Amino acid sequence: MAVSTEKLAAPKQRKGYSIQAQEARLAWFLLAPTALIVFGVVLFPAIFSVWISFRDVGLKELGAVLQSEFIGLDNYRAAINDFAFKFQSLESWGAAVTSVVYSVVATVVTMLVGLLAALVLNRRFRARGLARAVFLFPYIAPIVSVAFVWRWILDPRPSGVLNDILMGVGLIDLPRAYLAQRGLALALVIVFTAWRYFPFAMLMLLARLQAIDATLYEAADVDGAGEWGKFWNVTIPELRYVLGSLFLLRLIWTFNKFDDIWLLTGGGFGTNVLPVLTYQFSFKMNNFGKGAANAMILLLILVVFLVLYLVVMRRGDED
Amino acid sequence: MTANRTARPSSDESLNFIEHLARRFTLRQFIFAITLTFFLVSILFPFYWMVSSSFKTYAEIGGREPVYIPSALRMEAYQELFDPSNPSYQRFGINILNTIKISIPTALVAVMLSVLGAYAVTRLRFRGRDLMLNSILLVYLFPGILLIIPLFAMLSQIGAQVGFEVRDNLAVLMFTYLAQTLPVALYMLANYFRTIPHEIEQAALIDGCTRLSVIWRIIVPLAVPALVSVFIYTFMIAWNEYLYAYVFLNERTMFTMPIAIDRIFNDPQPRPHVVMAASTIATLPVIALFLALERYLAEGLAAGGVKG
Repeated sequence: MAVSTEKLAAPKQRKGYSIQAQEARLAWFLLAPTALIVFGVVLFPAIFSVWISFRDVGLKELGAVLQSEFIGLDNYRAAINDFAFKFQSLESWGAAVTSVVYSVVATVVTMLVGLLAALVLNRRFRARGLARAVFLFPYIAPIVSVAFVWRWILDPRPSGVLNDILMGVGLIDLPRAYLAQRGLALALVIVFTAWRYFPFAMLMLLARLQAIDATLYEAADVDGAGEWGKFWNVTIPELRYVLGSLFLLRLIWTFNKFDDIWLLTGGGFGTNVLPVLTYQFSFKMNNFGKGAANAMILLLILVVFLVLYLVVMRRGDED
Repeated sequence: MTANRTARPSSDESLNFIEHLARRFTLRQFIFAITLTFFLVSILFPFYWMVSSSFKTYAEIGGREPVYIPSALRMEAYQELFDPSNPSYQRFGINILNTIKISIPTALVAVMLSVLGAYAVTRLRFRGRDLMLNSILLVYLFPGILLIIPLFAMLSQIGAQVGFEVRDNLAVLMFTYLAQTLPVALYMLANYFRTIPHEIEQAALIDGCTRLSVIWRIIVPLAVPALVSVFIYTFMIAWNEYLYAYVFLNERTMFTMPIAIDRIFNDPQPRPHVVMAASTIATLPVIALFLALERYLAEGLAAGGVKG
């Protein structure tokens, strides 16, 4: 891993190389380890995944994956026709629809909570620095810890905190299994996602809020704008671009996320999303080809999101 | 707002508490205080619940009603994690060690490689620079779950040839964490390096310094805050990571903390206090580290658009 100094200094003395060529060689030399790791562990596997998705690869074939049989679109057909994937009815959405609903709603809620938090922290008050640090706790804590605390708070026994509080207030008579109820489970997973990831939105929005030119607000004051008017006509337009890129980033990451739902519900009770389904196909059913095909479908939906987003953004710019 | 503020409460005895409050605070301040309290309570309560539950006994944890404040700081759960004489001893110490063994090297290597890469990207001209940067950022787009199947297949092929085991190999896991964190680390550092003026290093280059000693003697000392934030960011990712560790680690003695916690949670006999004790141990170092170095990190996180 250590780079010897002589090696780097050598081209300098050598005649015949232009300065630009020397610089380029050095640049590639410095970038090589990063490029190799990213290519080897991300870009190559991504391409390899396309290949696997057209092959019959089970647990037995995994050792000799290159000799596996080509089966065309069979894996894709199998994934799409799987009852866990397909939309069946309003009671049973299937992973594809659940994924889209979950990621869009969770992204919007996360951004709204993040915006509210950023507005709160944009005011001056005592211990604001400490409050900002505390607001980041959900985002930096290990996912396993926070997911299990939430499950423990939502525990179905009467000793669960939420059950105890709601029964104490008289809202419910009997303890409920919140994460084992269709609809409610999905809503709670969305609440959890917003709780965990709002700090990211908050940080980016706060940075932008603090950069807004104060004279804009003064001008609005002169025009006699109220708080609400200032928020809609100054703050929101100033945040527009950050909100746009935030939406895209959070949407992609939420759509790709495996841990949160896996740890909270295991994908049960109407919360199965495509990443969790991919895991189940690959490692529970040991059908890696079907899993890879499912992951490719996931990626395709993501690309559709991206294209839609770019089209909408371009339209917005033309206005 | 100023009108309200200047209307100081008179010395009138009949002024009751509510009126006093109403004169002291405006509606805006009231809404602000409610919102801030709401945020703080909903953020801090789960953490309080985690730490306090870890000090409860099995009787307290399994009772009919939740115990909001443990009667005493009981170490029952921690004994199960660390005390070899406990009947359901979890050997959690080894899991802590594994987590440290993977997260510190990951963070150090990530800092080293991204310093070199970010220097090349910001100071040297070469063809294909933009293409390189953009393709590295593609990492953002690919879901971890998509990569894990081909990675597994690919590494077991290579492993069979070269002679290493893919499963239960912390070094293999480290490479997957590096691939996840290097693009952001590179991006964060490149943004920071651009703010360092070129004049100093040009003077050093004319004096005959090599590029590498310029990086080591000039760039690194000037970029300490950015290096710290890259270190913490990669450290946290490696410390917290779940999916790859879950698939790649099978042997209990090789588990990192998140996987060990998951295993305790899924034990047929549920013992939430032990899960919470292990979670507390996994969470506190990250929070402490973050609070100690928060000044550097908040800016770094915002600048790099950290993945999560």
